[in-house]
Amino acid sequence: MNPGPQIKFYLFNKEYLPVTDTLIVGWVSVILILILAKYLTSNLKMRPEGKQNVAEMIIELIYDQIEPMLPNEGWRFLPFIATIFIYVGFSNLIGLVPGVTSPTGDLNTTLGLALVVFIVVQLEGMREHGVWGYIKSFAEPVIFLLPINVIGELAKPISHSFRLFGNIVGGGIIMTLIYQAAPALVPVPLHAWFDFFVGMIQALIFGMVAIAYISVAKS
Amino acid sequence: MIEFSPEVIRTVIRTASLIGAGAALIAGVGPGIGMGYAAGKATSAVRRQPQARGAIITTMLLGQIISGSTGIYSLVIAIFLVFNT
Repeated sequence: MNPGPQIKFYLFNKEYLPVTDTLIVGWVSVILILILAKYLTSNLKMRPEGKQNVAEMIIELIYDQIEPMLPNEGWRFLPFIATIFIYVGFSNLIGLVPGVTSPTGDLNTTLGLALVVFIVVQLEGMREHGVWGYIKSFAEPVIFLLPINVIGELAKPISHSFRLFGNIVGGGIIMTLIYQAAPALVPVPLHAWFDFFVGMIQALIFGMVAIAYISVAKS
Repeated sequence: MIEFSPEVIRTVIRTASLIGAGAALIAGVGPGIGMGYAAGKATSAVRRQPQARGAIITTMLLGQIISGSTGIYSLVIAIFLVFNT
């Protein structure tokens, strides 16, 4: 696919990895999230008011998804899942700004996130069952299922990342076509659907699928 | 033995990948049926228990999106076929 505009670095006639717009928008959204988090959590009170209500609402929404699937470990996994959820949600929303492409519309971003989830899933499985016990759980109930289980495990990050990538890119392509056909007024409700609704739902799904993978590895 | 020029070969490959991209989107049928089935079941569940409407809709959306991802895979393959060759 077309990688979009790039900044290339040359040193001694050797070309280094280019800086794509994905990388720039991704870092900008990270910085914006940091500023937002700092603002929302400053001056916390026991009786929440104003901006603290918003922060508590977001955290409770994520916590309520984790707790039923990983009983008694909601607070342990909250930082990890909330980071994924907020980053993916913010990256999808930043596509609303004209001329900015969502970082999640790039397979590199989503595959990176999915690989992080994959590593956490493996470590949690090993923590729960022990290293040898976890490896042995792939050969159950019979040894013939070992290759199928291993392939099934390796397919998880691929399906996990392609789901998010396909949704965002598909929405982006449809929006580009709409802009060519009807540049004014018509795209506004479609932006609300493809960027806002689909983006939020996909962020929630990305986090929930990560929770589901962890709970499967631990059971 | 017939020799083809590189241009002919490139055109044939391009044609084949575009046809393949179109054919890949046939996979959209399956998720459509599945999501419609889930929506129908959710409708009857809401009729039986209107007070559980919020939880039913959330569960329905989650299931629909998970089952819709097979359609998304075919879309990704179609996008790769169109833009990569």
